[in-house]
Amino acid sequence: MKLRETNVGRSIFRSPDRKTERDRAAGHWSSFLLHIYPVKVRREELHFRYSWYLGVASTVLLASLVVSGVYLMFFYVPSPTTAYGDMQTIQTEVAFGQFIRNVHRWSAHLMVITVAAHMARVFYRGAYKPPREFNWVIGVFLLILTLLLSFTGYLLPWDQLAYWAVTVGTSMADFVPFIGGSAREVLVGGDQVGAATLIRFYVLHVALLPLIMVAFLLVHLWRWRKDAMLDQERPGMGLGPHAGEEGGVGAPPGSGKQGGGE
Amino acid sequence: MSDTDPREVEGKRLLGIVPGQPATGERKVPEEQDLVTVWPHLLVRHAVVGVAVLLFVLILGILFDAPLREVANPFETPNPEKAPWYFAALQELLSHFHPLVAGVLVPGAVIVGMIALPYIDRNPAARPALRKVAVVVFTSFLVVWILLTLIGFAFRGENWGWVWPWDEWHGEL
Ligand code: HEM
Repeated sequence: MKLRETNVGRSIFRSPDRKTERDRAAGHWSSFLLHIYPVKVRREELHFRYSWYLGVASTVLLASLVVSGVYLMFFYVPSPTTAYGDMQTIQTEVAFGQFIRNVHRWSAHLMVITVAAHMARVFYRGAYKPPREFNWVIGVFLLILTLLLSFTGYLLPWDQLAYWAVTVGTSMADFVPFIGGSAREVLVGGDQVGAATLIRFYVLHVALLPLIMVAFLLVHLWRWRKDAMLDQERPGMGLGPHAGEEGGVGAPPGSGKQGGGE
Repeated sequence: MSDTDPREVEGKRLLGIVPGQPATGERKVPEEQDLVTVWPHLLVRHAVVGVAVLLFVLILGILFDAPLREVANPFETPNPEKAPWYFAALQELLSHFHPLVAGVLVPGAVIVGMIALPYIDRNPAARPALRKVAVVVFTSFLVVWILLTLIGFAFRGENWGWVWPWDEWHGEL
């Protein structure tokens, strides 16, 4: 007897049968782990060329950054007197410290690239068009958040590279009319990058920005799922190669009926 | 055997047998707009992509060490002073235009423009051939931005002067 056919299994998975497609859809629908996904998608979405899987790649990189970042937090104290020494300790004494730091850094650089490329792919596929306009807007905020997370993390090693890159970066804020000077004050915590800047960037980098990022990402993915199912309920909402053309809407008329989304 | 009572033979539902036809019936040719279940079709692909991306960064982490220069020193300004590479385009712009333009107006316009894009471009067509204006504008922006990033990252040396990256390397990751 299969686990999911026992009383315990039934309490966890709800849907014991996996014989027909309908059973499998019901199993998917009652799974917590799968709730971020629609039950069905159009076949075209399976192809590499559809999204180049760049959204997925960005999500995986974010996960890798959270895991490696939490590990680094165990060994790092954000103060000018300790930060640099902690980096050296991480690289020389901490188990897998150098490796985890490398993974964190390369994931961060790569994520900037995959997110920007994801945006370009979404553009060329026309996937920002109705009904997906708002998900594009959320995407723009995700891109800005990705850049801010990278930038705040850049300061933390407290080496020459970090210090001067952030000095250049924050000095740009000075040129914003009226609020620029005070915006820079708030960010840097003084007129020069120092201890106050480090603790501010640290809190932004490990707490505030990740929380905002995850919140936006959850809305982004939720919208993706909702929009995928919307396609199935309303013919013409699809993203087929001929979407929006005379007599050639994305979804052939009537295909909405077969939608098994909900 | 009635229609409402399909029997199972070796795990397959037996619906009926028509002489001269294959037992499975005519195969439907699946179309791009047809629906498929996410499990297994999409999830398997996402899992493969996820593992591939993860392996890629793990291998990068084994092969290349993250840089760590000397400890920060507020009294020793490096030359050139470089922002992280994803801001290199902005820094390159700053070297040509007034900071109000390069540091505020351009990035502001880029962000507002990107947010507004789906509300400005109301053309419903998805094929690039039918949305030439949008594709040309976006592609030009992308090309200019990538070029500026490359120049700021690799082609700028002391005092932000022009260098050839194969002669002197000033890019930092
Ligand atoms: C942290 C950054 C981001 C992550 C992790 C992310 C993740 C994802 C994922 C997993 C999907 C669904 C699968 C796919 O199409 O690959 C998706 C779809 C989408 N993304 Fe993003 N994304 C990010 C940033 C962006 C940006 C910067 C934009 C554009 C400005 C954007 C616009 C969209 C749109 C419009 C869709 C819907 C496409 C559709 O429904 O077919 N995203 N995103």
